[in-house]
Amino acid sequence: MEEKLNSIRQNIEEKIKSCVTLEEIENVKVEAFGKKSELSNLSKDMGSLSAEERPKAGKLINEVRQYVEKLFAEKKTEIEDLTIQNIMKSAKKYDMTVPVSCECGSLHPITKVQRELEEIFKSMGFTVEDGREVETEYNNFEAVNVSKYHPARDMQDTYWLENGELLKTHTSASQNKIMRKYGAPLKAIFPGRCFRNEELDASHENTFFQLEGMMIDRDISVANLIYFMKNMLSEVFKKELNVRLRPGFFPFVEPGFELDVSCMYCGGKGCKVCKQGGWIELCPCGLIHPKVLEMGGIDPEEYTGFAFGLGLSRLAMMKYGISDLRILNSGDLRYLKQLGGEE
Amino acid sequence: MFISINWIKDFVNLDGENIDEVIKRFALSTAEVEGVEKKGENLSNVIVARIDKVEEIPESKKLHKLEVFTGKETLQIMCGAPNVREGMLVPLAQVGSVVSGINIGKATLAGYDSFGMCLSEKELGISDDHSGLMELFDVEPGTDIKSVLDIDDVVFEVDNKSLTNRPDLWGHYGIAREIAAITGRELKPLEVEDLEKYNNLPSLSIGIEDTEKCLRYTSMAVENITKHVSETNMRIRLYYAGSRGINLLADLTNYIMLELGQPMHAFDKSLISSINVKSLKEDTEFITLDSNKRMLPKDTLVICNEDIPVAIAGIMGGENTEIKDTTNSLFLESATFDPTAIRKTAIKLGLRTDASARYEKTLDPEMTTLAIARFIKLLKGIDSGVEVVSSLTDVYAKHYPVRNIEITHEYITRRIGTDIPLSQMENILKSLGFGVETKEDIMYVSVPSYRATKDVSIKADLVEEIARIYGYDNIAPETKNMELKIVREDGAKTVDYIIKDLLSEKYDMSEVHSYVWYDTKKNKELHIKTEDNIKIINSLTAEDSTLRGTMIPTLLCMLDKNIKYMSDVNIFEIGKVWEYPTPNEATIEKKNLGAIFASKTKSEETVLNTALQMVNNIVVKTKNLKVSFREIENTAKYNWLNPINSSDIFVGDKCIGYISVLNLGIKNAIDKKLNVVLVEIFVDVLNELEYNEIKVNDVSKYQTVTFDLSFLVENSVKFEVLKNIIESTKLDNLQKYDLVDIFEDTEKLGDKKSITIRFTLCSDEHTLTTEEITSDREKVLEAFKNNNIFIRE
Repeated sequence: MEEKLNSIRQNIEEKIKSCVTLEEIENVKVEAFGKKSELSNLSKDMGSLSAEERPKAGKLINEVRQYVEKLFAEKKTEIEDLTIQNIMKSAKKYDMTVPVSCECGSLHPITKVQRELEEIFKSMGFTVEDGREVETEYNNFEAVNVSKYHPARDMQDTYWLENGELLKTHTSASQNKIMRKYGAPLKAIFPGRCFRNEELDASHENTFFQLEGMMIDRDISVANLIYFMKNMLSEVFKKELNVRLRPGFFPFVEPGFELDVSCMYCGGKGCKVCKQGGWIELCPCGLIHPKVLEMGGIDPEEYTGFAFGLGLSRLAMMKYGISDLRILNSGDLRYLKQLGGEE
Repeated sequence: MFISINWIKDFVNLDGENIDEVIKRFALSTAEVEGVEKKGENLSNVIVARIDKVEEIPESKKLHKLEVFTGKETLQIMCGAPNVREGMLVPLAQVGSVVSGINIGKATLAGYDSFGMCLSEKELGISDDHSGLMELFDVEPGTDIKSVLDIDDVVFEVDNKSLTNRPDLWGHYGIAREIAAITGRELKPLEVEDLEKYNNLPSLSIGIEDTEKCLRYTSMAVENITKHVSETNMRIRLYYAGSRGINLLADLTNYIMLELGQPMHAFDKSLISSINVKSLKEDTEFITLDSNKRMLPKDTLVICNEDIPVAIAGIMGGENTEIKDTTNSLFLESATFDPTAIRKTAIKLGLRTDASARYEKTLDPEMTTLAIARFIKLLKGIDSGVEVVSSLTDVYAKHYPVRNIEITHEYITRRIGTDIPLSQMENILKSLGFGVETKEDIMYVSVPSYRATKDVSIKADLVEEIARIYGYDNIAPETKNMELKIVREDGAKTVDYIIKDLLSEKYDMSEVHSYVWYDTKKNKELHIKTEDNIKIINSLTAEDSTLRGTMIPTLLCMLDKNIKYMSDVNIFEIGKVWEYPTPNEATIEKKNLGAIFASKTKSEETVLNTALQMVNNIVVKTKNLKVSFREIENTAKYNWLNPINSSDIFVGDKCIGYISVLNLGIKNAIDKKLNVVLVEIFVDVLNELEYNEIKVNDVSKYQTVTFDLSFLVENSVKFEVLKNIIESTKLDNLQKYDLVDIFEDTEKLGDKKSITIRFTLCSDEHTLTTEEITSDREKVLEAFKNNNIFIRE
């Protein structure tokens, strides 16, 4: 009996091995388990066995049945996998090196730089304010201590409107409103579009962007200003920079400074960009003039503060290697689309 | 302004100082330095030599063969200068000398050897005079020229703009005071004539009619002037300082101006009888000493002799009283005028002079007498025979207030952020000429008159004085702890950025920046008509003077510019626009988004659908609200609107903008093959809408059921009509409905179209029964039937 079973099992095993298609498997299966199969016959023959031998034989037959079932399942999976592999291998092969279009638009360089700066300032707890572009003479000049015949007005050729308003010549035009809105203490930046009546060339535009900031609290000092500017600018340029102050005259600050940073291209050793000096003049700043604080409703005896202005257009040019200031307002997509990272 | 270190050394002993370092510290403490030039650096081994023999040569009319004695030997020199003369002393560059950085070697001219060259003043670098050789007097041949003339000097240029607020720094003496303070050295007093000894002489006749504009007028008269040419060393200084020699008297007035910052004017005394300073009552013609005839407008401040103008106050003298090279008597003016008046006149006349540039800065009236005392001292030193013939005549009409400031040590320390000892603060202020008296912690500071006209008036000004001389580099950076304050985002900015990201990332749009005024010329070319709006009164061109009231025209101009290079142009800008409802009242500033989709390859419908989707998405992403579109009633408002295909965009009952296919006229002007859709969104209005907070609904566990219905409607019927019917019908289990298809076919459907809508039903509580489904379906059909819309069978 055992021998018989062994030979049956071996016989089926060999037949399964030689199967190639699912159909063949099914045929072999019918042959192996069908009513007329050897296994079935063997089961039928069990009646002739003694009561002692019968359970043992039944167990053996069952074991063989289970074993063979497992072989069938394995073989079936094997054939199915093979079939899928073969289908995939015969499918179309694509050329993955074909160029694809980016289909992405682009943000304006000013927007990109402005947002980057806004993020830095927000992380330092600054409020970001949006100012007007048409301003009153008061906000643009008087409120920042530039009186009517102040020579400082020489430096800023103003676009005047027929109703006496003007296109703001600097972001400082927002200082008064922001001080009145928030009072002290105060940390705010206000980027914006500014206008000067100038002839255009590669480095002069009548429409450009500045970003101005103010920090007002009790006992804000020159030492604080230096610390802040050094850290802020190092973050902007992603490089550890040194700063130095030189006297600078701006009516809305006292003392006023021109701030130089150590050249970010040569590290201060001297190169073409910094004209061998190792320093680059970057932004005007200073302690806010007591009169300006006062006009903004802040007591200059109790509070002090500093203000600074950054040229966003200039920063955008530096960052993206833009050679001509006029490109920024040209709307020329051959330039601007490059900002999307395309081409 | 150019500053000569030699000149500075008249007032400060700089022995042992590194001059480059001094200039650098000046730049860090006082004013911007634009450049440093080492004068005489490119000139060496030039000596004084005597021309002993001048010989003509047949080969040249111009060249002479000279025998020149160097003190040691006689050299043959070939020279083309017209003024060669036997016995003349001239500068000589022998073989081995350096002139203008070039090594002088033996040369051959017209076949003759030349062992060096004789030099003009220009070749020495001390003037522009190249008319002939420089002539020297009373010098031994062989003397090094640099021991006779002050050729070696260091000259640095100070940026005038950085001196705008420092009237005291417009002369060498003021700069010397700064350098003395920076280097901790002593400032020498100015050598001046004692004018009191002339008090008994007759005074001059001076009247100030306009005491608002003329603060002070001081003068003195001198006669018996015999010298007319300035000493060379004085001329060199003037030249290095950017001026140029004219004649002794004119040079001296310039010299005083460059030394003290006080402009002076010299009249020919024989032509002056009585001075009157007044404003013109009417426009008057006047010839200035540069020989230009000018029309002086009414109100111009002038200096008159009797009633005849002889100078434009503070700007330029007149030809009628000009000092000539032969003038031997002098009426000297040293005056102070109102800075605003001078500035206005200089701008009106387009005539800005060294004098007016100084007066504009608000000069110290106390300087007038000092300048005269200095002038007389220098003149007598040069021309000992001169005779002062008047007393100092001084009309002082208006004084500036005396400034005294009380300041505490603590006040200064709080603002600088570094503890500087009080005694050091005191010393700094004193070195700059301030009077200081200290009691305990308080300094009582009196501001010197030359700083008191406008520059120093409050405590903050003293903080600056102390900090800058102390040295900004010596202040240690220090952080500041501030109270924690929540930073609130400016909501308007957030909306801008959401829109910018959406448009650039999802809709392949490029952000542009345009000018805020219309390009009227370009608009005309493209047939774009713009409304009248507020104008800039002083723009560079009349065409660029109207501020924009909408974003579309500037974007269309940019479209036109770009479409030459590409088949698709998608651009947008968020910018300011203005309304000017009432003349002379304030403008209303608004923020709009303008967006343009233009394509040569896509159909108009495709472009429109993209734009519609963009509009929907803008409102969803910024406010999570739904938009609706209403046909624009008055499409004549803007001529870029399409009369058929244009809609106002609504959110609820708020109009937030409009969308339109571009009007054909403008489209054809740009490119006939283009399909263009434009959108303008009123960002301020959008921003005011409340954000609709997102709430997530549970998804039903039960199965959804869908059925499609096709409705047959007239072509003109909008989807919105169907939508309104569905939404006003109460259905029990409607989850959503979607447009599947709009089918138009004139052959099959004539002037009708079929709109297929898919209805999705579902219940949160149970699986829907056939009865429930049928009931909702029947309700829909009933509702449409009531509106005379039937199913397409």
